[in-house]
Amino acid sequence: MLDKYKLAAIGILGVSVAAVSGTTLASSEASDYPSGNIKALVAAGAGGGTDNFTRQVQPMLEKRLDTTVTVIDLPTASGAIAHQRTANNAPDGQTLDFASSTLITSLAAGQNPTGLDQLTPVARMQSDVMTLIVNPDKYENFQEFYDYAKNNPGEVVIGGTAAASPDKMAFLGFKDASGLEMNFIPYDEEGSVSSNVLSGNIDGMFGEISSILGYMESGKMKPILVFADKRLEDFPDIPTTVEKGWDLTDGNERGVFVNADTPEKTVAAIESALKDIYESDKYQDYASKVHLDYREGWMGSDAYRKELKADLKQYKRLLKNE
Amino acid sequence: MLDGLMNGFSVVLQPMNFLILLSAVFIGFIGGALPGISGVILVVILLPVTYGMDSTTAFMLLTAIYASTVFSGLITAILYRAPGTPEAVMTSFDGYPMTQRGEAGKALGIGILSSAIGGLVGTIALIVFAPMLASVALKFSSPEFFALAVLGLTVVASLGGSLLLGLIGAMIGLFVASVGIDPMTGTLRYTFGNLNLAGGIQLIPIIVGMFAISEVLKRAQGNAPHTPIKKVKIRIFDMPVIRRIRLTLARSSILGVAIGTLPGIGASTAAMVSYSEAMRWSRHPKEFGKGVPEGIAAPEAANNAAAMGALVPLFALGIPGSGTTAVILGAFIMHGLQPGPSFMINNGDLIYAVFVGLLIVNLLILAFSKPFVAVLSRMLNIPYSALGPIIIICCVVGTYSVQNSMFDVWLMLGFGVMGFLLEKINFPLVAIILGVVLGPIAESEFRRSLGMSQGDPSIFFSRPISATLLCIAITVVTLAIIVPLIKYLRKRNARLGDAHQ
Repeated sequence: MLDKYKLAAIGILGVSVAAVSGTTLASSEASDYPSGNIKALVAAGAGGGTDNFTRQVQPMLEKRLDTTVTVIDLPTASGAIAHQRTANNAPDGQTLDFASSTLITSLAAGQNPTGLDQLTPVARMQSDVMTLIVNPDKYENFQEFYDYAKNNPGEVVIGGTAAASPDKMAFLGFKDASGLEMNFIPYDEEGSVSSNVLSGNIDGMFGEISSILGYMESGKMKPILVFADKRLEDFPDIPTTVEKGWDLTDGNERGVFVNADTPEKTVAAIESALKDIYESDKYQDYASKVHLDYREGWMGSDAYRKELKADLKQYKRLLKNE
Repeated sequence: MLDGLMNGFSVVLQPMNFLILLSAVFIGFIGGALPGISGVILVVILLPVTYGMDSTTAFMLLTAIYASTVFSGLITAILYRAPGTPEAVMTSFDGYPMTQRGEAGKALGIGILSSAIGGLVGTIALIVFAPMLASVALKFSSPEFFALAVLGLTVVASLGGSLLLGLIGAMIGLFVASVGIDPMTGTLRYTFGNLNLAGGIQLIPIIVGMFAISEVLKRAQGNAPHTPIKKVKIRIFDMPVIRRIRLTLARSSILGVAIGTLPGIGASTAAMVSYSEAMRWSRHPKEFGKGVPEGIAAPEAANNAAAMGALVPLFALGIPGSGTTAVILGAFIMHGLQPGPSFMINNGDLIYAVFVGLLIVNLLILAFSKPFVAVLSRMLNIPYSALGPIIIICCVVGTYSVQNSMFDVWLMLGFGVMGFLLEKINFPLVAIILGVVLGPIAESEFRRSLGMSQGDPSIFFSRPISATLLCIAITVVTLAIIVPLIKYLRKRNARLGDAHQ
C-alpha cells in the first residue's frame, strides 16, 4: 500500500519535473526574443514629446536587444492607427506602440477603438505633471485666477490641444473639482495655444512646466497650480490641487504597449530591457535635459495597467458630465 | 547686429560648416523634388545625426535643409505637374502649361529666381525685424485667421472659367476637408467606421493624385503627342520677364513673410493667398492657369519667404509657425537649448550663424539649382510611355512613405481618377485645392472665435484686423456679383433698345 503511494508520489514528482523542465524550455524560447526586427510605432507626430522619447530609446533598445528598431510616426487620428496596428500585428512583441496618455483620453472619448483588452501596457517610462499656466499680466497667482473665474462665470477661456487630449481631461477634472464655470477651446497645435496665452486672447492653458521654461524665465507665462499631491521640489512656490482640497492629480505619461496576446515571458523580456534603459545614465541624462525628472517615471506592467484602468474610468465619468 | 553677422560669417565659412551647408542644400534638393518627401520628414530623419554635432552646426544643417526643400518642390511641379512638396502645388498651375508650350526653361528660371528672392527677403526680414514681426503676429488670433481664410476663398470669384464650377469646386474641397475628427468636439465626421479616415484626408494624397496621377492618365490617352524636349535652357536673369514680374515678386515676398510669421499657418497657405492676390491685382486675371510668369513668381516667392517667416515666431517666441519648425523646436530642446522669448538674446552666436547660413543657402539655391534642374529636366527626353510609369512609381512610394499607409495610396489613386475626369469638363482644380487648404482654417477658427467671445459674432468686427480683412472680402464678393449683373442689364437694355428701333 505504502509502496503504491510512493509510486504515485514518484509519478507526480516525475510529471511535475517534466512540467517544470517544460516551462524552462518555454522560457528559453522566450529568451530568443526578439527573433527579428522591431517596429516602434509612435502614436504621435514627428518632433513631439512622444516622438523624441521613442527616438531616444531606439538606439538603446537596439543595443540592448541586439536587433534593428525602425521608428514609424503615425500621428493621424490622435495615434489611433498606431494602436490598431499594434493590436492587429503578430503578438510576438516585435511591434511596440510608444504612446502617451492620449491613448486613454481618446479611448474615453470614443475616438480610439483599440482598448486595454487588446493592448498590454509593458511599462511607463515618463510621468509629467499637469499645471495650469497663465499670462502673469492677467493673473498674478492662483488666488487671483480663482476669484476672477468665480465672480465671472463662463468668462474664463482655457486653451488646449485637440478635443480629447490630456489637456482637455485636466480641464474637465479641474472644472469638476473646483466647480468653476469656464470654457475650453481646442487648438490644432501647441504653438497656437501658447501664442494665444502670450497675447492674452485666452486666459490660460493646461500643460507641462518643461514646455514653458523659456517663457517663465522671461516672465511671459507662469504656472499657478500643480496637479499633484505635493509641491514640486524645483518649484516650491506653486500650490497644488490636493492642498486646495481637491482629489485631483494628473499629468501626461508616456509608455510602451504591445498586442494583448503577447506571451507573458515576452512582455517580461521587453519590460526588463526597458527597465535597464530607464536606469541607464544616458536615458536619465536625456530625461533631465527635457525636464522629465520632476517625478519618478518608471512603472512596471501590472501597476501601469491598474493606473490606466482607473484613469479611463475617471475620464469617462468626466466626459459624461461635461 | 553687424558684429553678430560678421561673427556668423566666420562661423559659417569654416570649411567643415560650409561643407555641411552644401550637403544640406543638396539633400534638400533631392528630398523636395520627390513627391511625398517633405521638409518635415527629412529633418526628422537627420535629427539623430545632429546629436553628435555642436548645436550651431546642427541648426545650420536643419534650417538649410528646411529652406532648400521648400525651393525644390517647384522643379517637378513645373516639369511633370507632380508637386514635390505641398507648398509647390500652386506653382504647377502656370508652370506646367509653360512646359507644355515648350517654355520649361523659362518657367524654371522664373521659379528659381522667385524662390531665391522670396527666401532672401524672408531671411532679411527674419534678421532685422524678428522681434517686431513676432509681436505683430501675436495680434492675430482666431477671428483674424478666419478672416484671412475667407479672403483667400473669395478668389474663387475671380478664377477664369465658370463661376459656378469654381463654387462647386470650393465646396468639394470644403467637404473633403471636413472628413475626420471634428477639431472642436472630437466627433467623427464621414469616417464610416474607418480609422484611416478618422485622421482626415491628408493634403499629399490629394495633391499628388489630382495633379501628377491625373496628368499621367491624360497623357496615356495619347491625344496630346509627346514632344520630347531636347534641351531645356534655363534662363534665370531674363530682363523682360523680370520687369514683368517685379511687382508680383515684391508683393508676394512681403505677403509670404507676413503670412509665414503667423503661428499655425504655413507656406502652402502663403503660396495660395499670394497666388490669389497676384490674380486679383493682375490686369489679365483670366490668363492665370494657362501659363503666365506671374503665376509662378507669386507662389514661389511667397512660399520661400513664408518658410523663413515661420522661423520668426520660433526664434523670437519659441512658437513654431509650421510643421517643420515644430520639429526644429523639438531639436532645440534635445540639444539642451531653451526656446522662448529670451532665446535670441541668450544664444546670439548660434542665431547669427543660422541667419548667415540661411542667407548663403538662398544664394546657393541660385547658383546650384541650375545643374540640378538640368539633370532632372533631361528626363523630359525619355518617351512618355516610360516616364509616365516612373512618375506613378515615385508618387506611390512618396505617398506611402508619409505615414506608411496603403490606404493613402488608394486614396491618392482615387483622387487621380477624379482629377482626370474633372479636367475633361474643364473643371478648375485650383478651386478644390483652395477649399481643402483654407476650409479647415476657416471652419475651426470661426468656431474658436465664437468660443472666445462666448458666442457673440460681433468679435469678427470689433477687432480691427479681422474687420478690415472681412470688409475687403465682402467688397470683392459683392463686386464679383454686381459687375456682371450691371453688364448683363446694360446689354439687355441695349438689346431691348435695338428691338424697339
